[in-house]
Amino acid sequence: MYNNRRNQKGGGKNKFYQRRKICRFCVDNDLEINYKTPKALRQFITERGKIIPRRITGTCAKHQRQLTVAIKQSRQLALLPFVGRPMY
Amino acid sequence: MRKYETVFISDPDLQDQARADLFDKVKNIIAQKNGVFLNFDEWGNKKLAYEINKKLRGHYTCVTYGGTGDLIKELERNFRLSDDVMKFMTLLLSDDVTAEQLEKEALEIENQSKQIEETEKKAVEEKVVEEETSKEVEEVEETEKKTE
Repeated sequence: MYNNRRNQKGGGKNKFYQRRKICRFCVDNDLEINYKTPKALRQFITERGKIIPRRITGTCAKHQRQLTVAIKQSRQLALLPFVGRPMY
Repeated sequence: MRKYETVFISDPDLQDQARADLFDKVKNIIAQKNGVFLNFDEWGNKKLAYEINKKLRGHYTCVTYGGTGDLIKELERNFRLSDDVMKFMTLLLSDDVTAEQLEKEALEIENQSKQIEETEKKAVEEKVVEEETSKEVEEVEETEKKTE
């Protein structure tokens, strides 16, 4: 029954029933979103350096906003690139 | 008083003396404008994600301090004028902190750094002692084998 409801919401086109992802920051309160840790932030940018949308990573809205701010700050400090792969 | 954090990227090829002068200048400005200097965190030379001033590496430093807006203006003016600083970024950590709280934090940070230094010294000493004892053990074993 639950499956049917999901299909109806998507207007019948949602054939790929995606498992609802959990925000990893909500689950683990110790994970800090900080502009100083580019390694941790690198999981949330693509190879080209673009920020991955939250429907793919599964983060919640609040943490996605914090992530975006942190990524943009570290880009300013040359810890993450604006475009392209990081040099290291 | 507000608590700020400034990360600045300085020339990686700077000599030690010149870098020490730069840090002293920063501390002096903070003291002049009645700010509370908290912590100096040097991240060292790192590869940059993109070229800045045609350079691929930079020396990162993070200064934490408390002060007013005037202090920030003065610091940034000096960074802009200086040839050694390539980039800087100031962030507000917290608003409405009293000078006493900040001074307590400064003492705590000093104590922590001293403790870390002491533990490092002890670790080095212990390693030296271990090496000596292992050498002695080896010598004893060799003599035993010879006697056998």
